[in-house]
Amino acid sequence: MSPAIETHVLTRRFGRMLAVDGVSMTVPEQAVYGFLGRNGAGKTTTLKMLLGLLKPSAGRAVVGGIDVAADRIAAARKVGALLEAHGFYANLSGRENLDLTRRLLGLPASEIDRVLAVVEMTGDAGRRVGGYSLGMRQRLGLARAMLGAPPVLILDEPTNGLDPDGIADMRHFLRDLPGRTGATVLLSSHLLGEIEQTASHVGVIHAGRLVLEGELTALRAGVAARIAVRATDAKAALALARSKGLQAAVEHGEVVVALAPGEAVERASVDLNRALIQAGVDVIAIGPRARSLEGLYRQVTAVEAQKEAA
Amino acid sequence: MFAPLYVEIAKLNRSLALALAGLAPGLIAVFVFFNALRMRQALPWEMWMMQGAGVWAFFMLPMSVTALTALIAHMEHGPKSWDHLRALPVPRWRIYAAKAFCVLGLVAIMSAAVPTLIWAVLEAATVIKPAAGPTGMIDWAEVAALLGRMYLAALLLIAIQLWVALRFSSFVPALATGIGGTFFAVVATSAKKGVFLPWQMPVNMLATEAWRWQTALALGCGGGLLVLMLMLISLSRRETT
Repeated sequence: MSPAIETHVLTRRFGRMLAVDGVSMTVPEQAVYGFLGRNGAGKTTTLKMLLGLLKPSAGRAVVGGIDVAADRIAAARKVGALLEAHGFYANLSGRENLDLTRRLLGLPASEIDRVLAVVEMTGDAGRRVGGYSLGMRQRLGLARAMLGAPPVLILDEPTNGLDPDGIADMRHFLRDLPGRTGATVLLSSHLLGEIEQTASHVGVIHAGRLVLEGELTALRAGVAARIAVRATDAKAALALARSKGLQAAVEHGEVVVALAPGEAVERASVDLNRALIQAGVDVIAIGPRARSLEGLYRQVTAVEAQKEAA
Repeated sequence: MFAPLYVEIAKLNRSLALALAGLAPGLIAVFVFFNALRMRQALPWEMWMMQGAGVWAFFMLPMSVTALTALIAHMEHGPKSWDHLRALPVPRWRIYAAKAFCVLGLVAIMSAAVPTLIWAVLEAATVIKPAAGPTGMIDWAEVAALLGRMYLAALLLIAIQLWVALRFSSFVPALATGIGGTFFAVVATSAKKGVFLPWQMPVNMLATEAWRWQTALALGCGGGLLVLMLMLISLSRRETT
């Protein structure tokens, strides 16, 4: 199966600033690919190159097997996009806004009802967009991106402005989308939790470079297990863990101990608990900490930061 | 080409640009109406039409084009919709060409509205004050030819204003260009070199010297078409960051 999106050493300069630095990413078909990075890391510039809005200084962007620089229009036919700036006309209704794009795409009028139903906006479609909340605009933007059922959806910060219920709905919606429609979703975000709960694959961009990429479950499995200890005396617990040669640090009032790769977390928890009690440190709670994307993210970005400092 | 054009026209629905298109010739009509009511003796239709066309070409046309192009461009700049439009599988030049056709169509409608509204308000003024009723007959062919020439001579200023308005997301460059151009057109009305100033080309259609109106018409129309083509090429290739 060929990837839905591929970039090869994609690079973009703005004057002397290197915004995207040799990014080679692969988004498999029917994946929900979380493109993660802090603000200014190069996410939007990369997405704009995928959409043909910016020309790469070097490298290639390929969408659905089509080189974007060689045939922008053919590549654009395979993509629906939700950009950070929605670009809706406030004087027109939601339905009228969708109709403008539908006509430009040469789609039948029934497409509007279909996408409105998907995002549950049918009831509000007759109102002017000027009166919409940010969350409604976001959903309308998603509906517009889905006009014509493109095989690839590129979504820039899709949960921006949504309330907690809206965020949860959007997560479910995006997670289920490949299964329901066969679409591939590339979504950018600076929110770790959002990517972790939505994506099947992840790519981390840092200072313009793709520093991590892969299937989320495989990446998580590669992270060393950690034990979190909540004790009455965190300092004493920390000192004891370190005295036993363990890598430990205090995070949010808990002592977090990183185990060596392959070390059994249950056995290590029991041993550490016994040692703490024998040393007279009262343990409130102890147990394995979930292998999170955050840990992975911190790990790779810390390495990159060290490289930059060197 | 028809889909982008339809889309541009649909965007005008309930917009300020459409209101402006009605307001500009309407203001001339209001001026003519009250002017007619204060007249002690009737004037010929030809004079009223020439007066209206003069006001239109001299001031209202360049100022309306300035405001209209800025408003139409701001329909995209305001909600930042360029990225959405430019990412669609549509040749970009068509999107800009549709905008240009839309502006040209609105200015054509405004040009046609000027004599039509003048006729209507003078008929109304005649009912209120019969002595103010214009004399003679309206030579509609001559009126249409004059306003048509003004329209064609205005193509260059329309193209310049539209290009500036689409190129810059801020209102300021487009307004500064339009106000500056109209200002120099007004203060240097009788200057011979005014024939080369895009904002003065339409009013030169009232010139009695043939070389003057012919030069302004050729430059305005030919230059306008050339600048419009250059605009399409430039804007289609330009990146928006």
